[in-house]
Amino acid sequence: MIKFENITLKVHRQTLLDDATLQIADGDKVVVRGASGCGKSSLLKCMVGALPTTSGSVRVDGLELSADTVAEIRARIAFIGQEPVLGAEKVCDALLLPFHFKAHCGKKPSDERIFQLLERLHLSSNILDKPSKRISGGEKQRIAVIRALLLNKTIFLADEITSALDPESKAAVMAELFRPEITLLSVSHDPDWVNACTHVVKIQNAKLQEISRQRAQETQGKEVLSSLRSFAANKNNGDEHDS
Amino acid sequence: MTADLSILSLVSMYALMLIPLAIFFHLQLGLIRDTLLAIGRMTVQLLLVGLYLNYIFQLNNPFVSLLWVAIMLVAANLSILKKAGMKRGLFFWRSLAGVAGSTLFVSGWFILVAIRPEPAYDARYMVPIVGMILGNCLRSNVLSLERFYSGIRKSENEFMTYLLLGATLREATRPYLRDAIRAAVNPSIATIATMGIVSLPGMMTGQILGGAMPMEAIKYQIGIMACIFTAMVVASLMNILLSLPVAFDDHQRLRQDIFTM
Repeated sequence: MIKFENITLKVHRQTLLDDATLQIADGDKVVVRGASGCGKSSLLKCMVGALPTTSGSVRVDGLELSADTVAEIRARIAFIGQEPVLGAEKVCDALLLPFHFKAHCGKKPSDERIFQLLERLHLSSNILDKPSKRISGGEKQRIAVIRALLLNKTIFLADEITSALDPESKAAVMAELFRPEITLLSVSHDPDWVNACTHVVKIQNAKLQEISRQRAQETQGKEVLSSLRSFAANKNNGDEHDS
Repeated sequence: MTADLSILSLVSMYALMLIPLAIFFHLQLGLIRDTLLAIGRMTVQLLLVGLYLNYIFQLNNPFVSLLWVAIMLVAANLSILKKAGMKRGLFFWRSLAGVAGSTLFVSGWFILVAIRPEPAYDARYMVPIVGMILGNCLRSNVLSLERFYSGIRKSENEFMTYLLLGATLREATRPYLRDAIRAAVNPSIATIATMGIVSLPGMMTGQILGGAMPMEAIKYQIGIMACIFTAMVVASLMNILLSLPVAFDDHQRLRQDIFTM
């Protein structure tokens, strides 16, 4: 459960959010929309304490974001930006980067799991040896998704993460992130993504407004997802898929 | 003993600087005013220091020498923070602890373990050795602090990515710390490696001009280089580590109000 309660957020003296409130239940898939520069990305950033709020509180699974809880909250959340930073020279080092930190030390994933995820996200295992700077934006986005999945996170913040993806890769990423156990708060202009979400929230006049509660349209969302999943599965040449 | 330079000789040395000034004038570099000001400042400062050191050496009182060392440390510390673009009010004591701790430790080591003068607090050793080490620490600390914080400011997303991947503040800042220490010590490693071939170091030259045997001067030079290098690395590291609790807020975000530019 994620709760934004009476959040006021100012960036460079501009009020992006004013007394905004939002509640996201476990498993919800929320997409935030709004004009460019209205604060969509900032909303995601303030949830992990990357941007300070002027007032209000952010709660994740009952934990209120504060100096004492920020590390724990960050540990539960995967944040994937439009241009993800891989943070290591080689792709394989970037994938294993978090496992060098104390928080994830000793939880290094098996090679098998890494190869499995690479395959599911339509990436060749050769990419592991490539320099991070040499791979495309779409590949970076998928590597960042894999890294988050390797950390077994269940809350995902995704900021335009399909912007550089071809339809097949997009379907593969969506198949991973739209699983029932994952809570997703995202920013996207992609119609497939928006349709697959259960809630659409709009930032307007510095307020958060739920413009369509898509539980009513759940059937439509499921249909989109179902077609995306089968698309991804077909591309994997009938490989077993546990999504 | 060194051959004494007469006032006329000194005037001839000032006259030598007419050459670069003429070049500046010809190339219209706009550096003449700054150069003349710098030369003027240097003359006054060295004159005052010469008089003061003369007094200190004659007095040879440990408290007066230590007071002079303290003044040098404070001046160096203020200069480090100013040149690195950090707010003095926020970092003064932490930066002073880093610079003073490392400088005094290696100076003490050199004087008390290697030279062992009688008396141990002999101002002729204490003041110039601390000054030489401090001068080099100043340069490395400016470089390391500036590189460390500018690195994080330029790569804000990368830094936040480390935190979001579970890194502690120490872990997330480590790549920038590595860059900063490298930037601070690389020039010195190059200097050490070419010492004696490309350049004859100042201390050694000074001792030889002062009448010391070259082999004696070389031993001192090796000693002082070991001290300078150690102090530079330790001070750069300590200064960065001690600044972390002030430079980042309680959510590990880099504070923007700590910089003067």
